[in-house]
Parts: sequence; C-alpha cells; structure tokens
Amino acid sequence: MTASRRRRLAAGALTLTAALVASACSSGAGEGAAESDTLTMMVPLFQTAPDPKGEIHQAVEKLIGKKLQITWVPNADYNEKTNITLASASLPDVMVIQDNKGASFVKAAKAGAFWDLTDKLDKYPNLKPKSQQVWMNSKTDGRNYGIYRVRPLLRSAVILRKDWLEKLDLELPKTTDDLYEIAKAFTEKDPDGNGKKDTYGLILPKWPAPVFSASSPYNAIDVWFGTPNNYGVRDGKLVPEFDVPEFWEAQKYTKKFIDEGLVNPDWATLDTGKWNDPFLQGKGGIIIDVNVRAGELFDKFKELDPETYDQKVAMAGNLTRPDGQKFSLPFTGFNGIVAISKQRVQTVEQLDDVLTTLDKLASKEGSILVNNGIEGRNFKVENGFAVKVNEEDPAIKVINNDVQFGFIQLGMTSSVGVAGEAYEWMRPSQAEQEWLKQRDELMELDLQTAVHDPSLPVISQTAVDQGPTLNPIPTDARIKYLAGDLSEEQFKAEIKRWYDSGGTQILTELQAGISKVGG
Amino acid sequence: MATDLASPVTEAAPRSRRDGSGKVPVRTALRRYRWLYVMLIPGLVYFAIFRYLPMYGLTIAFQDFLPFSGYAGSPWVGLKHFETLFTGPDFGRLLFNTLFLALLTAVFVFPAPIIIALLLNELRVSVYKRYVQSLIYIPHFLSWTIVFSLTYLLFAVDFGVIAGWIHSLSGGGPQIDYMARPEWFRPLVILQLLWKTSGWGTIIYLAALAGVDTNLYEAARMDGAGRWRQFWHVTLPAIRPTIVVMAILTSGNLLDQSFEQIWLLTNSLNRSTAEVFDTFVYYVGIQGAGYSYATAVGLFKGIAGVVLIFGANWLAKRMGQRGLF
Repeated sequence: MTASRRRRLAAGALTLTAALVASACSSGAGEGAAESDTLTMMVPLFQTAPDPKGEIHQAVEKLIGKKLQITWVPNADYNEKTNITLASASLPDVMVIQDNKGASFVKAAKAGAFWDLTDKLDKYPNLKPKSQQVWMNSKTDGRNYGIYRVRPLLRSAVILRKDWLEKLDLELPKTTDDLYEIAKAFTEKDPDGNGKKDTYGLILPKWPAPVFSASSPYNAIDVWFGTPNNYGVRDGKLVPEFDVPEFWEAQKYTKKFIDEGLVNPDWATLDTGKWNDPFLQGKGGIIIDVNVRAGELFDKFKELDPETYDQKVAMAGNLTRPDGQKFSLPFTGFNGIVAISKQRVQTVEQLDDVLTTLDKLASKEGSILVNNGIEGRNFKVENGFAVKVNEEDPAIKVINNDVQFGFIQLGMTSSVGVAGEAYEWMRPSQAEQEWLKQRDELMELDLQTAVHDPSLPVISQTAVDQGPTLNPIPTDARIKYLAGDLSEEQFKAEIKRWYDSGGTQILTELQAGISKVGG
Repeated sequence: MATDLASPVTEAAPRSRRDGSGKVPVRTALRRYRWLYVMLIPGLVYFAIFRYLPMYGLTIAFQDFLPFSGYAGSPWVGLKHFETLFTGPDFGRLLFNTLFLALLTAVFVFPAPIIIALLLNELRVSVYKRYVQSLIYIPHFLSWTIVFSLTYLLFAVDFGVIAGWIHSLSGGGPQIDYMARPEWFRPLVILQLLWKTSGWGTIIYLAALAGVDTNLYEAARMDGAGRWRQFWHVTLPAIRPTIVVMAILTSGNLLDQSFEQIWLLTNSLNRSTAEVFDTFVYYVGIQGAGYSYATAVGLFKGIAGVVLIFGANWLAKRMGQRGLF
C-alpha cells in the first residue's frame, strides 16, 4: 500500500526537495552556458524516445548545423516534469512549455527565467507570428515568452455514426435541436438494428481538468447557446461563462440529454482515454470533441473492419442555437510554446544564435523533416500530398515512428493538424479525403462565428494563487447539477461562493489586464 | 570473532535496558563493540542523506517560496501558510475525510490480515494452505491503476458486473452509480484496500504463528483444551506482541492514504468525500505550484502522524504491552 505511494511521493515531494537542494547550490553560478555547437531541448513524447543516431535526428542536426541533445519526456508526465524542472532551475537551452498559463511557468517567467520574445521575432522570417489572434492567445501576462506551436484555431466538431444516420434516414445536424432529435433517435429507434434498446446518443466523458473552461463538450454546448468562451464582456463588464442567462439555457439543454437517458450512463466517470470505445462498439453514436478525433475513429474502425470502415464516421461543425444564431467554440490555436532559458542562453548574441537555429527548424525543409520525414526515404509526394512508402521496412518504421510520435512535437509553424509548409498526409480512402476537405471548410466557416476568449493573454494573480481551490467550485457544481445532486438554486449558491472566495477579485484583475493589453 | 560478538549483544541489550547507561564507559563500549558500530554507519548515512537532509526543504513552509529565488532568496512569511490552512474553507473537510478514512482503515483493513492468517493457520492440508497463500498475495503486485480499472469493470453503472448483479437482485429501480456517489466512495476504498493488501499483510503474522512452540499446544491438549481454547490461550497470546508492534507502526501511516488509489477514484461528483490531505497537497503543490502552502499542509500531516505513533505507543504501554520505544 505504501510502496507505490512512496514512489509517487518520490516523483513529487522528495525529488522536488532534492532538486531544490541542488538548485540552491547551483543557481546564480551561471554554469553551462549554451555552447554554440550544441542545443539542449526538452520535448514531449508519445511513444519510445527516438535514438540520437537515428536518421531523422541526424537529418535535423544536419539541417540546423548543431548537435541536438533532446530530453524526451512522456506526454502524460510532461507538465509534472516541467514543474519539477522549473523548480530545479537546471533548464535546457530550449524547452517546450505546454501549460504556459500555469502557475509554475508564470512564476518562473516573472522571475526572469525565460527570454521575453514579444518584439524579437521580426528578424526571423519563419518564426514571425502568422496569426495575430494566436500570437495574442499565446501571451503570458501580456508578454510572449516563447514561440507558439501552431494547432488549428478551430477544432470543435460533432462526430456521428454515419451508418446510424443513414439507417434512420437522418440528416447531419445543423442546430442544437437537430442534435437532440438525433440523440433521441439513436437511443430509441434501434439504430444498430439488433432489436434491442441498447444504444444511446451522446457519449460524454469525465473531463479531467478542474478548470471550468477546458474545451469540453459542456463548454462547446455553452458557447453554442451564446455564453462567453471562458470570460466575456457583457454591458461593459467582464463576466464568466457560467454567469449569463444563456448558460442556464445550455444547462437545461444538456440536462435534458442526461435526464432522458440519451447519454452513456457512466458519463460522470468515463475516462477520456476510453472515449472512443462506446462509439466503436456501437453503444453510442455522437461525440462532441475536436475534429481530428474523426480521423482517429476512421483508423480504429479500419483495424476492426477494413471493408466498411469508411461508412461509419460523419462529422458536423458547430451548431446553431434555437433562435437561428450561431456561435462557434474556437481553440487557442496553439499547443504550448517553445521557450528559451535565460539561465543557459545568457547574451543577446547567444539568443540570436538560438533563434536562428529555431528559424531553420521552422523553415519549409525543417517542417517537412519533423512532420513527414525524409522525402524519397519514407514518403513520396503525390498531388501535393505525402504518401508513405516502404512502410514494412523496419528502418522506415523507425523513421515513421520517430516523426509521428516525437519530432512532430518540435514543429512550431506546422505540426499536428496544421500542415503549414509541410505536406498533408494522403488519406487512403475517398471518404477520408473528403473528410479532410470538409474539415478545412468547416474550420473556415465556423471561424467567422468564433467566440474568442479575451482573457487568454492575461494572468490573474488570484487565479494563480487560489486556482486549485477555486476552479473546482463551478466545475463540480455543474456536474452535480446535471446529475441532479444540486438544484438550480444550489448551483447558483455555489457560483456565489466562487465570487465570494476570490472570483470577484479574479474578474477585477483580468479586467485590468485586458484593458492594458488592449484585447 | 563470531562468538566474540554474539554473546555480548544478547546480554547487553536487556542489561542496558534495565539499569540504564553509565555502568560501561562510552570509550570502553566503543572499543568493545567497534565492529557493530562500523556496521551501523551505512544505515546512519542512509538516514542522514535520504531522510534528514531533505527535511531542510521544510523551511519553505515558512516562506513564500519562488523556485528561481531559491531557499535563500525567498521571503520569510512565518506561519502565514498554516493560518491559511487552518482558517481556510477546505481544512475541516480535508481533516474529516482523512481521519474518517484512517478510522475505517484501522477498523476494517488492519485486522483483516490477522484474521486471514489465523484462518490459514488452522488449515490442515499444507498444499492447499500454500496455494491459498500465494493466491491472495498476488493483488499486492498489481498497481493501483490496474486495481482501479478492475473496480471500474465491476462497479461501473453501465456494464459493471457486480453493479449489474446487485441491480438485478434488488429488483429494478434506478441503478446506483457506485463510482460517482459520494456515499459509496469510502466503501470502495476499503474494499480495494482489503483486496490488495490483506493477503500480503498475512506474511508477518504467519511467520509469527510459525514460531509458536508446538509443546504449548501439546500441553494445552493434555489439559483438555479444544481447538477454540488452544486458539484463545496459546495462539492469540503468542502473536499478540506482533499485533501490537504492527498496530503502532501502522498508526504512523494511518494518515497516509494511498495517493494513487484516491486520485483515480475521485471525480466531480464524489470530490466532497474523496479529497484528503495527500491529494490536496498534490493538487496545490505540484499542479498549482503552491510549493510553500503544500509543504505546510504536508508538514501538518507529518506532525499529526508523529503524534499518532507516540500516542499508540503510550497506549500500548498503558495496556501492559511492550511498546516500540
């Protein structure tokens, strides 16, 4: 019972303390300034770490003209490892910061641990921000402490079982009412045709983040009904997502799904890692999430049945609320930033050297390397799409894995979901190619109605300090309300408790910050 | 040398206990037992480096610690974090959840291995006994993540096997979501603990039982004692010291709920009963970077643990048992 706990503590408190002891000894000594011929990095990883002698690693080193020393950290532990690394003050030259609004990064950045790049990127053609909205979104307390790693700015979508829609003769949803009707039909009209009432409409998972606005299906529905995205201005005042009349419309809508049994019975506890399972097993037929999940589902269905997999997945964009108005939930447009340590990279000349190197990595050649691999080796280009070749060759497999699960994380201007200067991968079936096209069209269309979060570039100190105790108040209250544990009055009392225990202060601070940034 | 060492140790220990130090001068003792002292060094070094040195880090409980300013540069704030903790809205709930879970552990989980060990001891066919023994060890080697997944498969509201049985036995009505209802959180934790730890816990009691002098049983039988009498007057007294020592040791860990176990079982609906000091420290300290506050919470919990262990020791002595120290 205590052995595993101790291990966790070793990862947490003990390592922390030990690392702190080490930091106390080494901080300020300024040892190990960036050597000009080596670049050390910390980067997230999704499978086994690429070999530094591997072909891709070598190719990237050749492109940037430097030795690369990459500390690959499994994605699941990345934020924890980042916090410990920040606390230890023994940083690599360059590190990916996934949560650049998180308390420990904010504290470190304010203490001067990273270079402020707000007006330093104009000289570098590939690093210069391509989207002002994303550049704004990726600010930390009004400053840019890193180069954002691009992601699609709008990823929200509704994914449905295509075969079920066809069987019940239903159209893709356009409005929230359509979605309700489809969910009801999926639950009651036996879409899988087995004669039993064993299906449900919408699949909802237990959302892991305790912060209220976390791009969850609940947030998507809120925004469709017209709430602010996290925070927004109403009558000249900044208000949170959960304190506008539209929010209650959205809650009643969501609660109707749960009360009528149109969702999975374990909606409050289903792990997000198992979100696909009911969809694949034919238990549930609707997922509200990012559009790339549709691609994931195509792949999974292919493993199950290569013959019919292309007839199972359909996708719709953001939905229109009952009165015909449309609001779309955008994403931040980036996934973390690439920050440069001031402790390692001390002078402006060294900074210029590092930025020049990163600029090469973000160039067309660099983007292709980290997104696709080596042309003629593991892929070829057809009609502007990348097509995999020699997939069965073990050496090629290594390249594909290194790219897909490792090096793509180095991409700043092109990465997961955004081909940028690199090539989009060719999808094997007609249905998937069409889906890719539809995805891009929906993205364009929904961006016009996107409700951006004005609080993204600013930081509220109270939110940083008291976030851990304040965040769960409205988040848990919503789930309890939907489960029927809280009445609307009790939910409103919880919101008042959020205001009283620091929420009011957070709003004041955000308001001040926003008017300063001018967003 | 072996004989040279062996005899003084066995003699010296009880003697110094009885009439205190002062009889043997320190230097003589050092010289006489020098090899024993040499052998003590690695242990002392281990404790100094890995147990005492890191305690220096506890100073951040009294600072507003900023990683980049370090220990020396961070401002001192005295007892601010303790004040926040004791007057904060979470303290009462955290203390209650932690203590209540500790109480349940003491009442249900602690005696389980003793009972199982005693039952195993009564088994006659030794092959069967060993088979059962190995079988009930196995859960100990599974990680909490796996235990959680199994629990989910058994108790989830939709497809949980046990949940389904109970539902069909109770005859209709809405299904209970054991994984999400706050009132079912503690029973699940205790069930998981029983399943995972009791088998492993029997080892020490079985060892104690193996050491009971068989002559005693024979003598008892001569006096006409049946199975139950033998158990009550021979077996139980024989392992009582072991039970007491284990009880005292466990009391120090009572407040250490297994972090992963609780973390995995927590969700929005049951957080009110689920959150304990350990998960709170992780949440505030590691996730929220409130290092100082989290350290203060952890320190408080540590002190409470020390109080418990001394209390248990004192209680053991009061009840006529030999304590640990």
